[in-house]
Amino acid sequence: MCPEFMQSALFNSRIVTLLLSVVLLSQSAVADGKKPLKYEDEQVSMRLVLRTPEQLSAFYQGRGFNQAAIDRILETCFITPIIHNKILDAVWLELDNWQFEAGKQPIARITRDYWSGKWREAGLPQAQQSTFGWTLMPEVRDLRLDEGVGGSVVIPMQSQPFTMTANFHTGLDKKGKIKTIVFEGIQCVSKEP
Amino acid sequence: MRKQGAIKRTLGILCVLLFSWYSAASESLPKGIMKQDGRAAPALLLEDMDGQTWDIGKARGRWVFVHFWAAWCGPCRREMPTIQAIYPQFDSAELEIVVINTAESEDTVFEFLAAVAPDLNPLMDKDGLVTERWQPRGLPATYLVDPAGRLQYLALGGRPWDSPDYLNFLKHLIEYK
Repeated sequence: MCPEFMQSALFNSRIVTLLLSVVLLSQSAVADGKKPLKYEDEQVSMRLVLRTPEQLSAFYQGRGFNQAAIDRILETCFITPIIHNKILDAVWLELDNWQFEAGKQPIARITRDYWSGKWREAGLPQAQQSTFGWTLMPEVRDLRLDEGVGGSVVIPMQSQPFTMTANFHTGLDKKGKIKTIVFEGIQCVSKEP
Repeated sequence: MRKQGAIKRTLGILCVLLFSWYSAASESLPKGIMKQDGRAAPALLLEDMDGQTWDIGKARGRWVFVHFWAAWCGPCRREMPTIQAIYPQFDSAELEIVVINTAESEDTVFEFLAAVAPDLNPLMDKDGLVTERWQPRGLPATYLVDPAGRLQYLALGGRPWDSPDYLNFLKHLIEYK
């Protein structure tokens, strides 16, 4: 539709983007106790924070959570990814496209639905349930240009290091290159016996 | 031949015009401000910390800056002083700034706001259900509701409202009342 010179500029920019993506995709961040759990390229930044039981207890106690609810939380492993879309039209956060595994065995993520039953058992008031919901990572989000998101992703407590593979569709129509970010050797911080 | 050349030139001009229009449209909004589809704003009827009721249904005729936040959220804590800074700059008959705390106690809210935003009297969404009805993309979130009660803009995450880009954007809204 557009004249040749514009088409060729568009084509060249696509080639450059594609080459950059190939180089930058599938980067790994290793948590060997020295390297931080961080990933960054020209399009996206992502880092992981692992909360200690003390931090989790203090945070939720400070917001009026009862001990039964806190005990349920401490049975699990909270990972807090913080993601920022720096330049793309959209980066799709879809937690169902994230995989967790330890020693080649998949780990099932604990989804939002799990918690409503736990909160009924623990008698947690609606206000605290609402707060808890906002501290979780959204299940699906089209992260727009310059939008960031942070929140907890929860898996069952692990004694061994595990790998998290986060796949993101890109582009408003999800037709852009899939971005894959892998964090290896992540270790849950469990409660002291 | 000549006809083809003319068509190519016209297409070229159209492409340039379309690109310029698209760039202008994208750049006219400050970073992180997203246009909404103009659907009616959800109901919002809450009490502030003095027990006074505020109803968005009674805010027709003015723009409303509807801001959801919680003191535990880091970006909310960083953004709140910028809201305090712009608060005195707007006549509430033109743009009313309404901050809604999501599901926290009065003690927590008071302790935080007294230090960083003493002029703001938040509405208290005690059980968090109003926030859930509005379905913000996360906390913090700011909606700009037009004088007819329609959602016109959403600010993604925390924004520096006291910086010129954002302040001018809000001032322009009032002009197009």
